[in-house]
Amino acid sequence: MRRFPIALLLFVIMLPGCATMTAKQAHSPYRIAADGDIVWRGEYRFSPPPKPWLLVSLDEGDTAFAYLKVVSGEPLCQSTFAYSEEPFGVSRNLRQRMKEFYRRFLWAGRVTFDPPRTRPVTVFGREALEATSLGRDPARGEKVWTKVILARRGERLVAFFMTQWQPTNGTFDRDEEKIFQRFIDSFRFLKPSFYQTL
Amino acid sequence: MEGHQRNLYLYDRFNARVAGVSRDDVTTLQYFAAKLGVTFPLLSNVSGYLGLDFGALAPGRPFFSRRTVIIDRKGVIRYARDGSPDFHEILTVLKKLHEEEDGP
Repeated sequence: MRRFPIALLLFVIMLPGCATMTAKQAHSPYRIAADGDIVWRGEYRFSPPPKPWLLVSLDEGDTAFAYLKVVSGEPLCQSTFAYSEEPFGVSRNLRQRMKEFYRRFLWAGRVTFDPPRTRPVTVFGREALEATSLGRDPARGEKVWTKVILARRGERLVAFFMTQWQPTNGTFDRDEEKIFQRFIDSFRFLKPSFYQTL
Repeated sequence: MEGHQRNLYLYDRFNARVAGVSRDDVTTLQYFAAKLGVTFPLLSNVSGYLGLDFGALAPGRPFFSRRTVIIDRKGVIRYARDGSPDFHEILTVLKKLHEEEDGP
């Protein structure tokens, strides 16, 4: 017989696009290993990209960390790549989640994406899904190249994603994708996730 | 809301049910549920008495503060936190309560 369930009651304010932030930790969430790898909270280990890539986002919202590269010029161009433990969307199906992800990706901009091109890949020895899409912001005269990889960690999905902004008539630097791929290839989980321990 | 939707399979595993409460009207909540892909119940409490009962409605404020409350199967509040939900904390509490249910 089914028991009476536990109730979880949420008091909510319905404001679209309301970002949530978690408090920043007083201590650095990472340490640098002897070989130069970054060990993040004892959870992951990865090789950082070479300079001038900078570690910029420290555990804000659902993105554990991100790297940023700024290229001088007019307009100022920037590239980012990030690892997210809780990527946009809810589905645990790779294709469905990718659709959900792109629905929210760069939501604060006025970017219109081409339909993402997807291909199955393998990450952490398991099935994963890669998508690429070109976004355009005609109001600012910019375009953005995006690559998203959804991978599995236990039952849940995690994401690696990169953006590269350029003026509409600019040329994308394909070498940055190689740096992004090297970062993913170097990425290792050091212990089971919180969700795997439940 | 997205985080809770993402965790529904875990709530189910711990025999927990989730509901959102807002002072918005039903039509507005239907719109938000569709837009956000929320499948769990969103309760419209325009008069705000639920928020008063659970301490989520400050006097003179027109809308609820964000608050998460966990009520056990006997109706006892076992957890209440303001602000953005801490999903690790919530799931840890639900797991503990579920283990209590299954205990002697």
